[in-house]
Amino acid sequence: MVAATSQTENPPRKPRNATRRHRPPFLTTTLLALGALVFLFPFYYMLIGSLQAEPDTSPSAVVPTSPFTLDNYSQINASVDLPRSLINSGIFTGGVILCTIVFGVLAGYALARLRFRGRGTLFATVLLVQVIPFQLLLIPLYVMIVRSYGLADNYLGMILPFAINTTAVFVFRQFFLQLPDDLFSAARIDGAGELGILRHIALPLVRPALLTVVLLTFIGPWNEFLWPFLVTKEADMQPLAVSLAGYISNVAARASNPYGAVLAGACVLAAPAIALFVAFQRYFLNTDIGSGVKG
Amino acid sequence: MTIQAERRSSVPARSAPTGHNRRRLLHRVLGEQPLGLALVGPYVVFLAAVFAYPLGLAVWISFHDYFFTAPGVAVERPFVGLDNYVAVLSDPAVRRSFLNIGIFLIINVPLTVVLALVVAAGLNRITRFKALLRVGYYVPYVTASVAVVGVWLFMFNSGGIVNALLGPLAPDPSWLVNETLAMPSVAVFVVWKQLGLFVLLYLAALQNVPKELYEAASMDGAGKFRSFLSVTVPAVRPATTLVAILALITGANLFTEPYLLTGGGGPNGASASPVLLMYQKGIEQGNPDVASAIGVLLVLGVLVVALISRALTDRSN
Amino acid sequence: MRPILSIAALSVPLFVLAACGGGGDSAADATATGPITVWLSNNQEEVAWGTAMVEAWNAEHPDQLVTAQEIPAGKSSEEVIGAAITAGNAPCLIFNVSPAAVPQFQKQGGLVALDELAGGADYITARSGDVAEQYRSEDDRYYQLPWKSNPVMIFYNKDLFTEAGLDAENPPLATYDEFLDTSRTLVSSGAVEAAIYPAPTSEFFQSWFDFYPLYAAATGGRQLVEDQKSTFASAEGQAVVEFWRTMYEEKLAPQEEYNGDSFADAKAAMAIVGPWAIPVYADTNWGAVPVPTPDGMPIEEIHTFSDAKNVAMFSACQNRGTAWEVLKFATSEAQDGELLTATGQMPLRTDLQTTYAEYFEANPDYSTFADLAGRTTEVPNVANSIEIWQTFRDSYSKSVIFGEDDPGTSLEDAATAIDTLASQS
Repeated sequence: MVAATSQTENPPRKPRNATRRHRPPFLTTTLLALGALVFLFPFYYMLIGSLQAEPDTSPSAVVPTSPFTLDNYSQINASVDLPRSLINSGIFTGGVILCTIVFGVLAGYALARLRFRGRGTLFATVLLVQVIPFQLLLIPLYVMIVRSYGLADNYLGMILPFAINTTAVFVFRQFFLQLPDDLFSAARIDGAGELGILRHIALPLVRPALLTVVLLTFIGPWNEFLWPFLVTKEADMQPLAVSLAGYISNVAARASNPYGAVLAGACVLAAPAIALFVAFQRYFLNTDIGSGVKG
Repeated sequence: MTIQAERRSSVPARSAPTGHNRRRLLHRVLGEQPLGLALVGPYVVFLAAVFAYPLGLAVWISFHDYFFTAPGVAVERPFVGLDNYVAVLSDPAVRRSFLNIGIFLIINVPLTVVLALVVAAGLNRITRFKALLRVGYYVPYVTASVAVVGVWLFMFNSGGIVNALLGPLAPDPSWLVNETLAMPSVAVFVVWKQLGLFVLLYLAALQNVPKELYEAASMDGAGKFRSFLSVTVPAVRPATTLVAILALITGANLFTEPYLLTGGGGPNGASASPVLLMYQKGIEQGNPDVASAIGVLLVLGVLVVALISRALTDRSN
Repeated sequence: MRPILSIAALSVPLFVLAACGGGGDSAADATATGPITVWLSNNQEEVAWGTAMVEAWNAEHPDQLVTAQEIPAGKSSEEVIGAAITAGNAPCLIFNVSPAAVPQFQKQGGLVALDELAGGADYITARSGDVAEQYRSEDDRYYQLPWKSNPVMIFYNKDLFTEAGLDAENPPLATYDEFLDTSRTLVSSGAVEAAIYPAPTSEFFQSWFDFYPLYAAATGGRQLVEDQKSTFASAEGQAVVEFWRTMYEEKLAPQEEYNGDSFADAKAAMAIVGPWAIPVYADTNWGAVPVPTPDGMPIEEIHTFSDAKNVAMFSACQNRGTAWEVLKFATSEAQDGELLTATGQMPLRTDLQTTYAEYFEANPDYSTFADLAGRTTEVPNVANSIEIWQTFRDSYSKSVIFGEDDPGTSLEDAATAIDTLASQS
């Protein structure tokens, strides 16, 4: 839908004045910093709340006066098998990312660069798929995966509904679409087959889009609660989001500081996602996803 | 249509005498580069299994008197025509939920578009702390709603920090239990939560705006604000379309926020969303037929809105 | 090359499968023995009890091993069970079935009628006595074994009562008027923000902890729906909603969800809870009184909401002989005693106080709850149960909590809607 929109701009008019003002944008930086602080405030609040022994709802609690304690975290550690949950989350998320990359690249490339029957229909479907609420498909999917395929308490059963992230296919398509045509026609003139072009030209170029896709895809399964929750009954199969939700809904209600326990759970769930994001954010550069929106 | 295509391909292919002819026929039937079919194959199978089949079943369910049973239980599931749709449309709670989504979109979409573009344009201009500030805006996006809802509840309840700052201006009843403000509060939460993604999209789009356009504008004597309006905004229009449509889809699929933030769509269903009702009716109350009808209406609604908005942007281009 | 054709190939058999159902065996042998799986709620104390129970069983029956798994105790356990029924992978027994969900599971064909098992009905009636009657389904059979209840009472914080100048040992809370006056004193004295803090959210089950206990007490144990007709649009029902409306109107009870435990945090001076709360509120100096009634009633006459969780056997179970023996083992006098000791929840059996006299002597706090356990009112065991409660909750929320409608009129409208729902089956 985006690719179809063409960019039309007026040709630049003749310069009247050739000097350019160049000031370091202090004001902009300050305003953006303020905005970022507002955006991050809930996380700060979450963190200090999780480090306190007694819940404090008053505004003065923004600047904590009481000493920090790790009690809330040790309570989680005592009732949730954190390393095991992390491994489960890792396998679930990793499986989804792997499938998305392998099959998503191929599908995205084909949608962008190859002409075959049904391409238009498929692309329309890609757009349609994003509109369908998961809750509508939930029970038929559950019956299919658990009853027909017997994949309850199985990593495959967890991964299957998320296996190929459609947004990722879309990003790959847009990425391949923006590569210069000459690249491909030159190879064809040299007599390269379609498979050869894919292997030697398209795939080596895909790296920047890959990181974007990994980060976009990561968020879904890492934070997903409802599906793995339905599919897993064995505690040692449950990903972090499910174990923590179980902890929050149940154990936390009995903790000495239920509010702090909930916040600590939230921090534990958020921390790996944020850490991963911060670690990779410098690769998460503008040009990568530029493909996704360029006309 | 496809089965027909297959039949056409197999019959003449067998009788075709030469390889050359066969290839031509193959191309006519499968398209110029049949490799494409092989490459999209796994994805198509995935779509068929995970989306097409359950969606087809859901549509079928919505025309029948249906409930889920244990394997082997024989029950009648009579065709009821549009009964489920009539039931859905005459239910004030459902109508209210669609209205709620309307309210949500009216607040969420413009706010998202404007804020994301302004932040992205700002981030694009600055040179220092660029990476750090960018992270600040992305972090809510990478965090699960379940994790951050608790903090919002804490901040926006009547004794919370927001009302404490507002002092006498604090609304009564407080935000999340105020019938007028509950849905706008959810909309603002979602803006905060999703803005990172949209900033990212805009930042990317901004890389593709030719520098000359800004130079030209500044030579025409346009100030920063003017050149933002006359250069940036039109240049990133394709991104704006994408952002608006993604925001629309997010809004239509709204579930976690009213489920957790406003205690199950309260007060009085003022923040209930169609997906929340689907969940209540289909999964909690065991009426998947009615829930499916809501789902089908919702999908149709989103498609119509998306098509209209696309037609509008196409025309304005 | 044929991806799209494969859609058809893939989806046709699936569709047929879903339409006809496969696997599963609704007429499994009621005496078959072998290994089985059971689900326990993931409540800490219950898991401890359940694990010990399963170990004890397994030690004696190495050929019929039981595997225990945990399911969430929270609001999502019914979805998990419903989905498992549909998929045919439900376990043999679940020790956490909400009576409100039983009609739906039964309609799905997910439950085994316990009467079909040797001595099933007799075992239930012998163990639970008259209370069992409320758990009998509309077709006169038992699809659940009444297991344990959590009869609710009013907990109050003695320190906050003293601070507000009230008599903390004999607080005036017996009648609606007394309760209202006490609440006003509590709040106006500045001792506490809220007199009582029932969850004001819209989940279908929330009315079990505000309207229903008071209604059960006022009517001597009438259920919300009886003989396929709603009962609550009566003088007693009207009085209960008027009472709660006053509480909300005068801001004695907040309209906003509390994120945490309002009673433990001393945000509210009272709470409506069952005996499970005793260890939870160990740090609070609490007392317990029965829920108020219009004119006050001695505790011997008070009925209250049971908040029971039961055990059901699921039709996916193959080794039903073993499952039934495990069920009897787990609800035997000895195991019920273990459950009582470990969780403080009341096994639904007759003569609770005499059977476990030693325990109640050592833990007098639990004794009143045990007394009430003989007079609990359950949610009605009728089709559309959850939809009925959601309808009730929506109407209650609008009129009583938020005061947008007249509570009386709203109650009558809800009664009309619920009559329609209750008469379908």
